[in-house]
Formats: sequence, structure tokens, C-alpha cells
Amino acid sequence: MLKKIKRFSKPYNSVFIVLLFVLILGLGCDNQYYDERLKMQVQQLDSDLKNRWSTSGVVVLNTTPNGPADKAQLETGELISYIIAEHPVRSIGDFNSAVKQALDEDNDLILYLKDKSPLRIALRRRGDKIGFSVEGSGTVRVKQIQSGTLAANADIQVGDIVEKIVDERKIYSIDDYKETLGKLSEKQVTFRTSELIGVKIAAVNALGDLGDIRAIEPLVDIFKNSPEFSLRKGSISSLQRLVELSVLNDLFHQFQNANVNQLPTDGLQPQQLESAAILGLLTVDRIENTATLKAPFGTQFRHRSEALYQKINEGQLAELAQEYIQIDVEPEQEIRRACLAILGILKPISAIDALIAVLENPAEIPGIRFQAGLALSQIGEPAVDALIVAFEKEDTSTKDIAASALGGIGGVKARDRLINALERSSEPAIQLTLVDAIAKIGDAPSIQALERQRQQYQQDEDSGIRIFLDEVFNSLEKGSM
Amino acid sequence: MKKIWLAFVLILFVAGCGTQNENLAKGKELIKSDKRRKEERAVREFKLALQQPIDNAEAHYLLGFYNSQEFYEPDTTDWQEASITARGEQMFLAYQAEQRKYLERLVFETLRDDDLDVQNAALDALKRIYRKGDRKRFLSQLQKAIKSNDNRDRHNAHWVLGHLGKDDPGTIVPILVKLLDHRRMETRLNAVKALGEVGSEEAIPVLATLIESGSAKWKRDREEPEVRQLAVEALGKIGGAAVPELVKIVQNKGSSLRVDAIRALAILGDEKVVEPLLEALKEQSSREVVIPLN
Repeated sequence: MLKKIKRFSKPYNSVFIVLLFVLILGLGCDNQYYDERLKMQVQQLDSDLKNRWSTSGVVVLNTTPNGPADKAQLETGELISYIIAEHPVRSIGDFNSAVKQALDEDNDLILYLKDKSPLRIALRRRGDKIGFSVEGSGTVRVKQIQSGTLAANADIQVGDIVEKIVDERKIYSIDDYKETLGKLSEKQVTFRTSELIGVKIAAVNALGDLGDIRAIEPLVDIFKNSPEFSLRKGSISSLQRLVELSVLNDLFHQFQNANVNQLPTDGLQPQQLESAAILGLLTVDRIENTATLKAPFGTQFRHRSEALYQKINEGQLAELAQEYIQIDVEPEQEIRRACLAILGILKPISAIDALIAVLENPAEIPGIRFQAGLALSQIGEPAVDALIVAFEKEDTSTKDIAASALGGIGGVKARDRLINALERSSEPAIQLTLVDAIAKIGDAPSIQALERQRQQYQQDEDSGIRIFLDEVFNSLEKGSM
Repeated sequence: MKKIWLAFVLILFVAGCGTQNENLAKGKELIKSDKRRKEERAVREFKLALQQPIDNAEAHYLLGFYNSQEFYEPDTTDWQEASITARGEQMFLAYQAEQRKYLERLVFETLRDDDLDVQNAALDALKRIYRKGDRKRFLSQLQKAIKSNDNRDRHNAHWVLGHLGKDDPGTIVPILVKLLDHRRMETRLNAVKALGEVGSEEAIPVLATLIESGSAKWKRDREEPEVRQLAVEALGKIGGAAVPELVKIVQNKGSSLRVDAIRALAILGDEKVVEPLLEALKEQSSREVVIPLN
């Protein structure tokens, strides 16, 4: 018993083990590596980045001039996520060794059969069979398929020609990189790099917030050409933000002219003041009668505002938005919506026809058709004629949206057309929209017209329009009180 | 037997009351009770207690703790006496009467309260202690708190140090910088946050070194990602002279903190960042690269 205690109380063993452990850990944690064959330095991606975007791999730190990596135009900063090896199959031996090598470690390979799309085969366990055998030399064909295996369920038939087997290895660490490269490469190495999309998205968003004209062309370029939806969406939202900022130029111009960051509110346009406050660019104090630009952005932006305004009003963005509101040009609805919002702010008369086309398009989703109507009502008076033509169409949704938009614009012409339509219409659905639109205009002739309707339907206790008219008058009375 | 015992306790209690501040006792009793508007009534007792010569420290403290402007009509004397600064002053008076006890209580107890007003009153009291009290002892308590194994203490200490540092960066920044070497990751984390709150340009080089340590060759030289990420945020809060450092991070393609740096710069709105951002947008998309070997 005593001996036992003595043996345990000796600390040397455990200290030694700890020391050894620390040594191993320290040695294994080298996070950079110079690849002698490819002549480049790579670095392990930081663990936090790995967790954030579920990307992994090694980053190219630098390439030695005229080395293999440099000649292949691999660039500093590229993230190598996969190493890919191709094994051409020209004999039974080729096939067997390729399968063995490809399945090693990750149990996963890509099979290329002639005239068929590539087939990814992922075995569940190490040692599982791929499930078919091959025959022939020069041209290798599938000989036999074992029932109950993956191959039996996949699109593989006896007689299919096996062209090649491709092995993709995901790279997690420097050690993976070294090991995989050592095993796979013979004549050439193929890397698949991953774009750090998060960095680009952050940059795109930041450019929207900075309000600088230099951002416009690159954002338009990404919007038009990037295959990544998230980047395209980010860039159109940033462009939308730049447009929103640019229309506040009058306001910022006043600060810039006076060369101050604070002005009395009563000299400034209330609507612009409100939008600027909502965008977080300035603070308004009604009691003190002051509008103060918020530092740092608001105060910096007053210097840039004019240039941004000029650039945005060259018309390029309006044209772009006009093109991308069409469903056959842009399949993503969020992007079509952003483009409609841009048109609503810029109010280009040239966009009226394109907006009417969206409004009338039965293939478009209702929400977006309504938004097109909204943009038209923001354009205002110049859109009235086109909206009246749309209103004459048979389609109920088109009528509905056009009537709402006309109500939003108002004016004698729109009002008279709406009143005339209400007095002739007997269709309940469109009647309600018309009543609503006319009430929105709300001038004396509009009220009189609604009053006439109310009298006409007075006997009809249960009719929808009667109830709706009562509601409208109720809210009108409340509003005037 | 039981009755005698009870009577004995009662006598002791009554005898004790004689030497204690009665209003104070009443107030404390009220707080413990479940009576309606107990705090408001207790505050009245504490005010009365202050007019008596004994046990003033606790009465000051409790008045600072419980008095609230919600109890009064705006702009009355009572209302003004319940302002955060007035409450802070009460807590400070408690400290002056019994320094050790109330310093510890303020740092390790009052700051933990859920009520934001109480926290702010405590902060006010602590600022007074920093100016007029035993500063050395106070700073050592704060360092004890930021090194504590309780997250609330660490967080509160960072908050107070951040505020103190705004008024006196010359003293506080070196303390915080020294804490960046502490073995506990959470302590370093809070020190970094406090440096951001202080916003002193003097902290820029040390924060930059800490951020760069992410690409150090050996693991032992690398700071934890969480701390480095917060260091980027801190640079953003410092702003101005920290912009070049942030731009450097954006340009460092091996850095995992580029997104954080970009966000920080976007908030600062500095024009210098536009070019590096445009550069970042030009980087290669995902692709396959074939490298022939000899």
C-alpha cells in the first residue's frame, strides 16, 4: 500500500509526458510551408475564418518568380480548397489502382462514363466495394454490376465506357496539403480555389455606405457579370443606397455651401430632412431648431454629395434598372424589386413604358406588379396617360394596379377618369379599388363623387361597397377633425 | 423551553434596535417585505436615517441604490436628488465613511445590478473615487475584477476602465496594455474592448501587433481569434489615426479579419478605404488552376 502511494507521488513521469506533449504540439503547429516543387509559400487559413464561412484550405502567401506556381498564374491570396487528381482509365489495372487511390481516406470519387454526366460515388464505410467490375484494354467497359451496391442504384449499365476517375481532396490544413500533394501529383497538379465571397460581400456593402462615386462602375460590373447571387444582390442594394444618398444632394449642398455641419431646420426641406434622418446621416432637434450632420459619415459626405449626384444623374443607373426589372432578363425577384425601387427614386420618364410592361405582365408575381405601379405613381404626372391606357385593359389585376397608381398621382385628368369609371362599373372588386383611389385624391369633386355612390347604394345594406364607403367616410371625417 | 428562547431573542433584538439607526432598520425591513411601493417608502426612511448620527454609511449607500426619479414629479427637489449624479454622490459618501467595504461592494456587487440607473450611479461614484479617493487601491480592485473568473466582474471592470480611460488615458491605457499579456483569454478580451472604449491613439500599435500575431508561425505566438477580432473593432472605435492599420488588414489577403476591418471602415466613412475595397473586389473568383510539373 505504501509503495503504491509512493509510486503515485513521484511527479517525474507526468511532467515528462506533459513536456513531450507540449513539444509535439509546438512542432505540429507550424502554419506556413514552402512548397519546393511548386515554388510557393502557403499558409494555413486561420481557424476563425474556417468557422465563419465553412471554407477551409491553405492561402497562397507568395509565389517565386518563374516557378511552376507563378507560371500557372496562381495569385497571392488565393485559397486552395481542393486538390484534384485525374486518373485516365485504359486498362483493368488502371481502373483498379485508380479506384484504390481515389477512395483512400475520403471514400469518395467521381466517375466519368462516356456520354454520361460525371457520377459522384461516395461509399459509406472504408472497405466497401464500388460494386462493379470492368473488362477490356484500350477501351475499358463495365463488365458486371453487383446487385445491392451503390453502382446498382446509380446510372451505370453493363457496356458503359469508363473514361477516367477523378479524385477531389478537400484541404483542411498544411498537413493535408503536404500529404495529398505527395500522393496525388505525378505530371501535374490541379487546384480548385475558393473565392472568399464574404470579403467581397463586405466590400460591396461598405461601398454602398461610403457614398463615393468611384464605387459605381465596379458595382455595376459585379451586378452584371458575377455568377454569385449574393454578390449581385449586395451590389444592387449598394447601388440603391447610393441613389438614395444622391437625391439628398440639395440638402447636403446647403451644408457644403455654408461650410458648416449644423444648420437651422426651418431653412431646409422637411421631406429631405426626414429621409436623411432615417438614413442616419443627421440628427434633427425641433426644439433647438437644428439639423446636425452625424460624424463621421454625414460630415464627410457633404463634400462628396455633389459628385455622386452628378454621376447618378448621368442616366446609366436608370437604364440599368430599367433593363433588370424584366422577369425574362432577371430571374431573381429580390433584384427586380431593388431595380424598381431605384426607378421609384430616380423617376426617369424614359422608364414609363418598361414599368407599364411589368405592371401588365401576367407572368410576374403580384407584389412586383404593384411595386411597378408604385414606381409609376412616384414618377407622377408624366405617367398618367400610360396608366389610363393600362387601366382600359381587360385584366383585372392590371386595372386594379393602374387605378391605385392613378389615385396616388391625382390631378384632374386621373381623377376624372377614375370617377367616370366608378360610375359605370358594376364589378365589386374594381369598385373597391376605385373608391380607395378616389378617396386618396380626396379633393371636393372626389368627395362628391363618393357621396353620390353612397346614396346609390344606400338601400343595399349588405353590399361590400356600401360598407367600404362608410369606412372611407369615417376615416375622412376623422382625418379632417 | 422554546418560549424562553424566543423571548430571549426578542429581548436581544429590541436591545439591538436601541443602538441602531431606527429609520435605517425600518427601510431595510421594507425592502425585504412584499409591501406595495416598498422602495419608495424605504427611500423616505433612508432620508430620515441620514439625519441621525449613526450608521450613516449604509444609509447613504442604500439611498444611492434605491432612490429613483420615477418616484417623483419632474423638476422637484426630490426629483433632482434622485438623478444619477446625486445617487452616485450618495454612494461616494458611503465610500468616504467606510472605504474598504464600499469600494468592494461597488465594484463587485453594485455594478452587477440589473438596473441600468444603479449601474450608472455606481459608475459615477467610482469616478469620484478615482478623482478624490484612494486611487491606487481602487485601480488594484478593478484589476482584480478584470482578472476574475466571473464574467460579470470582468465585463463591469472593462466598462469602468473604459470610462476612466476617456478622462485619463495616460494612466489607464498602460494598465490595459499590460493586461493584454494576462494568461486568461477573457481578461485580454475585456482589456481590448476597454482600449476601444477609451479610443486613445496610443493603443494603436499594440492592437496592431496583436492582430498581426494571427499569422505568426507558432501557435504560442498567435492571439486567439476572438481577441483579434475585437481588436479590429477597437481600432474602428479609435478611428482617425487607426484607419491606415485597418486598411492594412483589408489588404492582407492571408488575414481572416478582413471582413471585420471592412465593416469598421465602412462605419468610419473614410475615403481612404475606397481604393482598397475596389482592389478586394478584383480578386480572383473560384477557379481551377492546373500546374504542370517537370
